[in-house]
Amino acid sequence: MIRTASRILAALALVAALGPARVAGAEELNLFAWSEYVPQSVLDGFQKETGIQVNYETYASNEEMLAKLLSGAASYDLVQPSEYTVEAMVKEKLLLPLDHAKLPNLKNIGKEYYGQPYDPKLEYSVPYMQGTVGIVVNTEKVKDPITGYGDVFQEKYKGRIVVLDDALEIVTWALATLGLGPDAVTKENLEKVRPILAKWLPLVKVYDSDSPKTALLNGDVDLGIVWSGEAAILLKEEPGKFKYVLPKEGAHMFIDSLAIPKGAPNVAGALKFIDYVLRPEVSRKISEEFPYTNPNVEARKLLTKEERDNAASYPPGNPKLETFRDIGPMAADVDKLFTDLKAKSGS
Amino acid sequence: MRQETTGFTAAAGPQRPPGTAGWLLLAPLILWAVAFVVAPAVIMLGYSFAHRGTLGGVVPGFTLENYAGVADPVYLRIVWRSIVYAAITTAICLVAGYPVAYLIGRADARWRNLLLMGVMVPFWTSFLIRTYAWVTILKSEGLLNSLFLQLGMIGQPLEMLYTPGAVVVGLVYTFLPFMILPIYSSVEKLDGALIEAALDLGAGPMRAFSRVIVPLTSPGIAAGVLLVFVPALGIYAVNDILGGGRVDMIGNIIENQFKGNARNWPFGAALGTTLLVAFALVYAWVSRRQRELAFR
Amino acid sequence: MNRVHRLFATWTGVVFAFFYLPIAILVLFSFNESRLNIVWTGFTLDWYRFLFEDRGLVRTLQNSLIVAAATTVLSVVLGTAGGWLLYRYRYRAATVLETLVFLPMIVPEVILGVSLLILFVTVGLRLGYTTIVISHVTFCFPFVMAAVQARLAGLDPSLEEAALDLGATPPQAFAKVLVPYLMPAIVSGALMAFTLSLDELIVTWFTASAGTRTLPLEIFGRVKKGLDPSLNAISTVFIVFTVFAVALTELLRRRNP
Repeated sequence: MIRTASRILAALALVAALGPARVAGAEELNLFAWSEYVPQSVLDGFQKETGIQVNYETYASNEEMLAKLLSGAASYDLVQPSEYTVEAMVKEKLLLPLDHAKLPNLKNIGKEYYGQPYDPKLEYSVPYMQGTVGIVVNTEKVKDPITGYGDVFQEKYKGRIVVLDDALEIVTWALATLGLGPDAVTKENLEKVRPILAKWLPLVKVYDSDSPKTALLNGDVDLGIVWSGEAAILLKEEPGKFKYVLPKEGAHMFIDSLAIPKGAPNVAGALKFIDYVLRPEVSRKISEEFPYTNPNVEARKLLTKEERDNAASYPPGNPKLETFRDIGPMAADVDKLFTDLKAKSGS
Repeated sequence: MRQETTGFTAAAGPQRPPGTAGWLLLAPLILWAVAFVVAPAVIMLGYSFAHRGTLGGVVPGFTLENYAGVADPVYLRIVWRSIVYAAITTAICLVAGYPVAYLIGRADARWRNLLLMGVMVPFWTSFLIRTYAWVTILKSEGLLNSLFLQLGMIGQPLEMLYTPGAVVVGLVYTFLPFMILPIYSSVEKLDGALIEAALDLGAGPMRAFSRVIVPLTSPGIAAGVLLVFVPALGIYAVNDILGGGRVDMIGNIIENQFKGNARNWPFGAALGTTLLVAFALVYAWVSRRQRELAFR
Repeated sequence: MNRVHRLFATWTGVVFAFFYLPIAILVLFSFNESRLNIVWTGFTLDWYRFLFEDRGLVRTLQNSLIVAAATTVLSVVLGTAGGWLLYRYRYRAATVLETLVFLPMIVPEVILGVSLLILFVTVGLRLGYTTIVISHVTFCFPFVMAAVQARLAGLDPSLEEAALDLGATPPQAFAKVLVPYLMPAIVSGALMAFTLSLDELIVTWFTASAGTRTLPLEIFGRVKKGLDPSLNAISTVFIVFTVFAVALTELLRRRNP
């Protein structure tokens, strides 16, 4: 048995040794970003032009990013926080102010991205991709008009709904039906939200923040409140079957941005990367792979008609959109409320 | 581990206090335990008494509010649920896995290794893809439902996915090998003559089994139970995917504190420490009892 | 006993079918045309072709194998030594040490990841293969130790005495008598350690660096975009390769007993 084992190990070692080698000595840039958000072609293009090798580490939530950052791990040159995380990081002085002089392509970002409460002058962050959280309807199964959260959470759709597994999102939706915004997360308002969620949650079949499109494609659910990127994939995959609707009570507009954390070893390289990504032809490549809303107006001009017409990526009309705020210590209360009601409504 | 009930010597071995050679041999183990078990545990303990940082992380200090939070019925309910699922999983794994372990243990030498590899190879594929394969099997338009509908066994698709049952299936699938392997190594050393003797003395196969064979393999069973129940308490992914995110376990709650909205590391640390202390106490007590029994 | 034996054999067949059903789906879908890996749309070999181009993915598999191999070796050494020493020597701290060793099994992975990361940062250890292997070994070797301990229970001490009587030194007795006796437990433990390491996700996320990404990290990263069938393809390739390797060694073994 030892001989068998050692033979197998030797074979494995051989396979492992025949691997692609690493280029040593090149200038490096440590990018810490959302998984599957930066196409390899963009990284390769950047390396070809500047000679800087980009080390791309990924995370699946803002809190994950913060966890590794706060544990003192490897110094990162770039991070990619969502808007409410940018706000919190700026408050805690964790981000370096950006030298706009080194970012000539910043002019390509749409004017509507300035003046947002989390970083009004874009001093610390540059929008990378924007999206919304909205309603996906399987029009083959659901014939009634769906215009908002209230329409989704009806008894007749019990067990046919998928929502994001995100306490803050769901609480904000409930607040919206009360006419309150994402800046109204207080203890009193949470108590107002409690009965609403107690009514909503038992109707949910699946909670999924990673891949909610799965349940919709499987036919296990007919309605979903999901990220616009997921919805865009659904619209592309089965045209005509699905519809994307932004809830009339108010939808979450999230903005994921590039920012430079304090202590970054390669600030110059980081600024070069940000400027590179702001080029229309590069930004366009990102849109091609990830059908979110591109904040780069010049890049939008380069999109195909099909991409521009995708209602999830570029919602028509003038919907009511709001960014999230940093809610500080209320996060713990929000989580507890959600955990409690989820447990009571489930199994 | 458990004492043998046969003619084997009662003592578990020529036990004696370690001499210098003994301590030298023990040193790497002790060093490892101190560096990579004690140190992280101390960090976690420290965190459990700290204050919550606004971004996550901790603000050094001392407070008992995190432990007060642990005692909340909201979380105790979930702890209980985790224990129940872990117990059910362990029981099913034991009943389902024992015959397999027995067969492999009594098999010919040439088949044994192949069978063992056969048990493990499926688990060398990615956990995520395996679990999504179960989604494909259990969903409304999935393999099983299509099969049942075709065979006319049911009229409407059964709701198998996103239920507690699906979670149990997923858990048993994940942990069954970890019950089979330890039991196998216990079965393998069974003396064939002993089993013959039991049968010769008039015991039917069922009695020979329950009265003779199973007790002889009790150390393997105990190991299997440990290696299934304990990790099963901490699962978060299988139930998340197969239960539709509706079957939160204590593992999910703790994860939430660090990687989810809650950004409440001290509370997560308090939950973790509680689990750890509970485990340590139970394990130490059981282990002590067994040592006492072995050296009477 | 024959009837029981046959019953068990049938049951084992059922269990193996249970084990391999998702694997069959996994392999089947590696030929699926649809990128989304959820519904079957058609047959294609494209994903296997992509594997050749996607050096990044193959590299993560190599990283996983390197880490798993190293973890298994270290876990077997520590686990066997631990099991044997705890059995052999009586000292007051035995229960404490044993409990400590098994603690990583109950500590939630997130906490283990965060605390090990802080430990490494404090000590100044750079994240990479070393840190990953250390974290893996920490929760893998208890599995080996448990299997070894179970096997040692009820060991006939006269076995070792006989070896010593016949002139063997204690290390020789250990190597020539104990280790062969423990082999099934060591093999069980090694298989468990290897499997656990290959699929480890959370602790690895905290203790890995960009250059040492393992396959589970890569796969988990792709969930949002969709687990495209190239991931099924690489899993299938790995299984086929392993089965092939095992079959080959078995064949060689039977040729040269």
